[in-house]
Amino acid sequence: MFFSMLMLTGALAFSQAHTVSGTIKDAQGGAVPYATITEKGTKNATTADAKGNFSIKMKGNGDLMITATGFEANSVASSGDVVNVSLKTSTTELATVTVTTALGIQRNKNTLPYAAQQISGDEVSRARGANAASALSGKVSGLQIIQGNGIGGSTNVVIRGIKSLTGNNQALFVVDGVPINNANNNAINRTPPDQKRKDQTTGGGGYDYGNAAADINPDDIESINVLKGAAATAIYGSRGANGVIMITSKKAKRGLGITINSGIVESSIDKTTFPKYQKEYGAGYSDPYEKDGFFYFDVDGDGVKDLVTPTTEDASYGTKFDPNLLVYQWDAFDKTGPYYHTARPWVAAKNDPSTFYISPVSNNNSIMLDGVNDKGFFKLGYTRNDEKGVLPNSHVMKNIINFGAGYNIIDKLTATASVNYSKIDGKGRYGTGYNGRNVNQNFRQWYETNVDLKEQKEAYFRNQQNVTWNWSNPKDELNGLKPIYTDNYYWMVYQQYETDTRDRIFGNVSLNYKLNSWINVMGRISLDTYDELQEERIAKGSNIVSMYSRFNHGYTEKNYDLIANMDRNLTADINLKALAGVNLRRISENSMLALTNGGLIGPGVYSLGNSLNPINAPTETNTPRAVDGYFAGATLGYKEFLTLDGTIRRDRSSTLPEKNNAYNYYAISGSWVFSKNLQQADWLSSGKLRLNYATVGNDAPWGSILDVYNQPPPFGSAVLFSLPGTKNFSDLKPEYTKSKEIGLEMAFLKNRIGFDATFYHTNTTNQIIPVALSTATGFTSKFLNAGDIQNEGIELTVYGSPFKTREFSWDITVNWTRNRNKVLELFGDSKNLQLGSFQGGVSINATLGQPYGTIQGKTWGMIDPNDPTKIVPWDGSGEKLVKSNGRYYTTTTTNNVIGDVNPDWIGGIYNTVRYKGISLGFLIDIRSGGDLFSLDRYYGLATGVTVETTQLNDLGNPSRNTIADGGGVIMPGVTADGKPNAKRVENTYGTYGYAYNPNAAFIYDASYVKLRELVLSYALPQSWLTKTKIIKGAELSIIGRNLWIIHKNLPYSDPEENLSSGNIQGYQSGAYPTTRTIGANLKLKF
Amino acid sequence: MGACTKDISRFNDETKNSSNVAAETLFSNAVRNVVDGITTPNVNDNVFRFTVQHWGMATYEDEVQYDFSTRAIPERWWARMYRDVLADLKESARLVTADEKLDATAKANQLAMIDIMQVYTFQILVNTFGDVPYTEALDFNKPFPKYDDSKTVYLDLLTRLKADIAGLNDSGAGFIAAQDLIGQGSVSKWVIFANSLLVRMGMTIADEDDATAKSSFEAGDPKAISSSSDDIIFKYYGGSPNTNPIWVDIVQSGRLDYVSAKPLVNLLDSFVDPRLPLFYKPNSDGQWVGGIVGSVNTFSATARPSDKVAAPDFPAVLADYAEMEFYRAEAKERGYTVAGTAEEHYNKAITASIVSWGGTAASAATYLMRPEVAYTTATGTWKQKIGTQKWIALYNRPFEGWTELRRFDFPVLSLPVGAKSGFPNRLTYPGNEQQLNGTNYTDAASRMGDDKVEFKIFWDKF
Repeated sequence: MFFSMLMLTGALAFSQAHTVSGTIKDAQGGAVPYATITEKGTKNATTADAKGNFSIKMKGNGDLMITATGFEANSVASSGDVVNVSLKTSTTELATVTVTTALGIQRNKNTLPYAAQQISGDEVSRARGANAASALSGKVSGLQIIQGNGIGGSTNVVIRGIKSLTGNNQALFVVDGVPINNANNNAINRTPPDQKRKDQTTGGGGYDYGNAAADINPDDIESINVLKGAAATAIYGSRGANGVIMITSKKAKRGLGITINSGIVESSIDKTTFPKYQKEYGAGYSDPYEKDGFFYFDVDGDGVKDLVTPTTEDASYGTKFDPNLLVYQWDAFDKTGPYYHTARPWVAAKNDPSTFYISPVSNNNSIMLDGVNDKGFFKLGYTRNDEKGVLPNSHVMKNIINFGAGYNIIDKLTATASVNYSKIDGKGRYGTGYNGRNVNQNFRQWYETNVDLKEQKEAYFRNQQNVTWNWSNPKDELNGLKPIYTDNYYWMVYQQYETDTRDRIFGNVSLNYKLNSWINVMGRISLDTYDELQEERIAKGSNIVSMYSRFNHGYTEKNYDLIANMDRNLTADINLKALAGVNLRRISENSMLALTNGGLIGPGVYSLGNSLNPINAPTETNTPRAVDGYFAGATLGYKEFLTLDGTIRRDRSSTLPEKNNAYNYYAISGSWVFSKNLQQADWLSSGKLRLNYATVGNDAPWGSILDVYNQPPPFGSAVLFSLPGTKNFSDLKPEYTKSKEIGLEMAFLKNRIGFDATFYHTNTTNQIIPVALSTATGFTSKFLNAGDIQNEGIELTVYGSPFKTREFSWDITVNWTRNRNKVLELFGDSKNLQLGSFQGGVSINATLGQPYGTIQGKTWGMIDPNDPTKIVPWDGSGEKLVKSNGRYYTTTTTNNVIGDVNPDWIGGIYNTVRYKGISLGFLIDIRSGGDLFSLDRYYGLATGVTVETTQLNDLGNPSRNTIADGGGVIMPGVTADGKPNAKRVENTYGTYGYAYNPNAAFIYDASYVKLRELVLSYALPQSWLTKTKIIKGAELSIIGRNLWIIHKNLPYSDPEENLSSGNIQGYQSGAYPTTRTIGANLKLKF
Repeated sequence: MGACTKDISRFNDETKNSSNVAAETLFSNAVRNVVDGITTPNVNDNVFRFTVQHWGMATYEDEVQYDFSTRAIPERWWARMYRDVLADLKESARLVTADEKLDATAKANQLAMIDIMQVYTFQILVNTFGDVPYTEALDFNKPFPKYDDSKTVYLDLLTRLKADIAGLNDSGAGFIAAQDLIGQGSVSKWVIFANSLLVRMGMTIADEDDATAKSSFEAGDPKAISSSSDDIIFKYYGGSPNTNPIWVDIVQSGRLDYVSAKPLVNLLDSFVDPRLPLFYKPNSDGQWVGGIVGSVNTFSATARPSDKVAAPDFPAVLADYAEMEFYRAEAKERGYTVAGTAEEHYNKAITASIVSWGGTAASAATYLMRPEVAYTTATGTWKQKIGTQKWIALYNRPFEGWTELRRFDFPVLSLPVGAKSGFPNRLTYPGNEQQLNGTNYTDAASRMGDDKVEFKIFWDKF
């Protein structure tokens, strides 16, 4: 169906007609760039270039309407071939900006009665990131973006806070009116051996495959409008409750245009986000082992016992380095290596794990063609983004083709179609979480500082063998020369990488019929379909059981829309816009996961057939769903300064019980452009007040009504079934979000400065959640309607142009967001809902009366201020209690709130400085407050990997010396008698880490200030380009992303680094360092 | 378009999961889960081999040193018993009861077997935690059940077990052989198992409630295990995923975590116990060096669990003849009615243990003549003699071993190096119970004084 539209392009013939060209200037004679020139009464329009020049092929001989941001509209006759137009700076109105609102309806921002923030496609794509969603960070108020550092990883996109306790809180992505699936399909770690499915999002290992909105081509984005509140999005139905990222793809321009972008970037790690290793002590766990902290046996057969590195010990609390001490290290057991059976000086490694990271060059190329004439338009684009990761052998390739065309079949009937095809191929995505597949887990938590990474590299590449530093038993040459816990890292990335591929088509065909001058009817069928395959491997010869798994997943969503629109002036002062429509949504989704059982037969063959034991039945899912929606909306405008807007929608969803499956919701909003009533105040350029209220209903997750059984693999000939952990509920009702919003927009000094402020308040009630039960019920959770989360916040956007002359300008936009979130009700008397529990004994929770996302775990104790005989959990300010053995007292309870993942506020400062053809744009992205738990510190400090563990003590002696030798440390705090602790303890394994300190010691403030983007562009002068006669525009940019973390409080790591997108944030394990990219891009227009 | 909207509820139909299954499939699954639980050595699940100091760890000492929260062990143990075992048993019973076509005798037998497994699982919970949810447990309409007094629960379990024994009819059918992972379809096997369990549960509370212990023992003894051929074992297979979980953690994982522990190695060594090479294999130098409990141990230099224990199809034992003979010896010492002398039972128990581990009757006889072993000459009271030998015989049955160690208080074990608490007489309640079921949790904790590992279960009087 889509491809039939291809034929229409053949019909695009460029008819000859009367052409008008000219220049648009301001009152001072300066060029007005990018004005829109429209032939009145038609859709025929064009855009002026940066110099204000335009050319338009006229359909008739009507007037031309010229509009430009910040200027009053002007209308001129089109008589003659050359028309020069002068525009007056707008003084009394908000700039006439049209924004794309829900269902793709264009509206004048002046009268919009709800919060919406639009940014241009250029702002998203100019830093040449591969992911449009990540590029929004700091650029829109109310929008929180969290992105991990893995290649092609997922992006957490939340607008106005977490609303649903356990459901999806991610914003809805809509491209040209069509919802795009943005699922994160990472949830399961498929690595055996225990066959128990662990959740990737809670640190159970596995890979971050990214979310599906990454398939949107940043180069095909004309603009992004973020609809933040329910009033703006209610018409989208349930999925709009979390806000909508409305993406309008590029529209073709008059004539034939070609745009080419070609760029390369080099990536490297930001070393401030990587551990600083101590260089004084080597392998071991504070144990003498067989002799002096070493294994002790005859290596070279001379009958004399030798000192051997304790290769099994993945910690660095061992023997002090001493270049005069000769030790047989891991390489003494590598037969092919230069140091086989050779002792080497006991010294710190020259090349620490940061040398594992590479600085690859990635490239990005795109070409966009477009054309428009009287009968229609087309566009065709191709983008190839070849992104290489900083881990060796990691790579994500995106190939995206965009096609769009429209044709005016008859005067009143227009057909349009768009198709996007994308193919994403990933290889070697980074392993995540607390899992051996994550190389950083070792680098940050379990490492021997005597291991030289470069020597490990050479050892692997000599024969592509798994030559590890972590021999399981070097004494046993026959069976012990294999990894005990850790493979050679190069073996890991070159032998057992994952691969994945996703083929996706999304697009739509529509017919638009103009019934009369004020009613048109649109019918549209849209499709979003993808198939993906994720294959994971563990090579034979690794430290764990070899394995191959394949996960096939298919998703198809079809939307059938029929929408009638009217736009009529009821009287000279009153305008009515109304719409009514029906949307039928049909989703089919299925998956199959199959994996080998018990290992692989032969090496190198990754197929199910190569399974050592017969494979267990694959796990299949089939979860179709349907939602029928009926909606209507009306907008009444009075003299362009009062607007009243209302929408209603009724949905029927297949996931709810039949008797409760229909639900209604509505939104009402109003705005008053009060500056129209204050025209005598000439300092005020414009002012608008907005007010709205909305409710949005939501349905249930698939399969939460009927009870079914789980089926484990059979035990011999015994068939097994089991009750699932979650009890379903046959009487679920829809859940509702209610939201209120008040906003004020003002601009001053002829629009030189202005702001847009919004206060909002939402409650999501009657939530459909699997409430956590005591497992003594026999279930972990049960679906119910329960819970209430409140979000209250302020969004503020301030913009201004401190300098503006013809040649020099500086524009600045500041976005600031403060959200306060509170769990008002859970289920019955329950006070806590555990969202995820993690390695290290901490959990992330929704706790009654607290913000969503409390971190709970063990904390220090302190003497009860009211009763000195009692010990109470540390209150955050008292003196920490030290036990008589000199170590901290730790609570036995694990339900102490020790952190809150929510930031106090987030913000972005976005600057653009222009001088003639040069422009410099940079974005400072800020997060203030919010906590995270670092498992990296929890273990890394215990194992003595980082420099803090070798510091000097209060006596000025090396703290790792024995106390007898002047070493040891004193833990700050008080003893049970209230006196300051004076007991010195040995600085051994665990002293600074988990073994002797509560979880609370590893909670860090996740604030940061980042120089997120910097783009320096130079547009080649038009005068040079005109000589070429072909090139219409050329711009060379130097671009940088994540250049500098200006401020952070988390040592050696990026506070933004996370495991995956989703509701559970605030936990780091094996965190990857920040990837810094610097590159150049050339943009040519023909 | 309107035609599409007629019936959308069909989209919710399950096409990949069953909503109707046979009762015995849930029963088998529950049996498998509870046996896996008591068998696995995984440090995330079952850490009692460290508690009884039969095993130590090479490097990662947290659980050996009694830190049970870093890996949330109470939470996983509790969830396994309630959610993965008891819930499936309850559902299985519901389906059996609802099955109108089932023969009445078979139905009664099946319900009795299911109940025996419920009793078995609940006594594990009581013996682990103390007060636990019981009367309000296993009901999703009571999301936050109260905790019942542990002794009341225990006595009710005994009543149930006696009723189950009365309800078993070995002339009728039980579950089909393929689904009956304990009795292989034999109801008589279940009669033996239930009576042996009655003996065990009775004797467990002997220090607290002598009368109940006596009556339970005497009721169960005649039909309890009377030879090694009666042993209640659970067979594992040689191939994934149905192997013994010990093999998964020791062999398949490729890790070298688990080592022997000095207290048992040294004792076996000094007694010249023929089970030493059956329990453990020597270190790389062929020496029987036991690991230091709670300390880092060099794997290659330490003796470790034997290949026999780590075989993929090594069976799990739920109850055996050696254990029953120790109970009979103890019963005699306590003055309960039982044939024979304490010494005879003691000798039979040790012989059965040695033989079932692969030793010979001759080596057992030699062993029994050693002065430190012989009942008449071994050190200490009957509690010390039986306690010490039972501690050895319950090797690889860590949960039962822990119960008996708490009950006999022999052998006396030192705290591990770096112990984070005193000897764990119980596990603390799960973290998610603290968070979710706060009121009832606090009630239960305050009944005990505090939710500490040192607190003793009601029957642990000394």
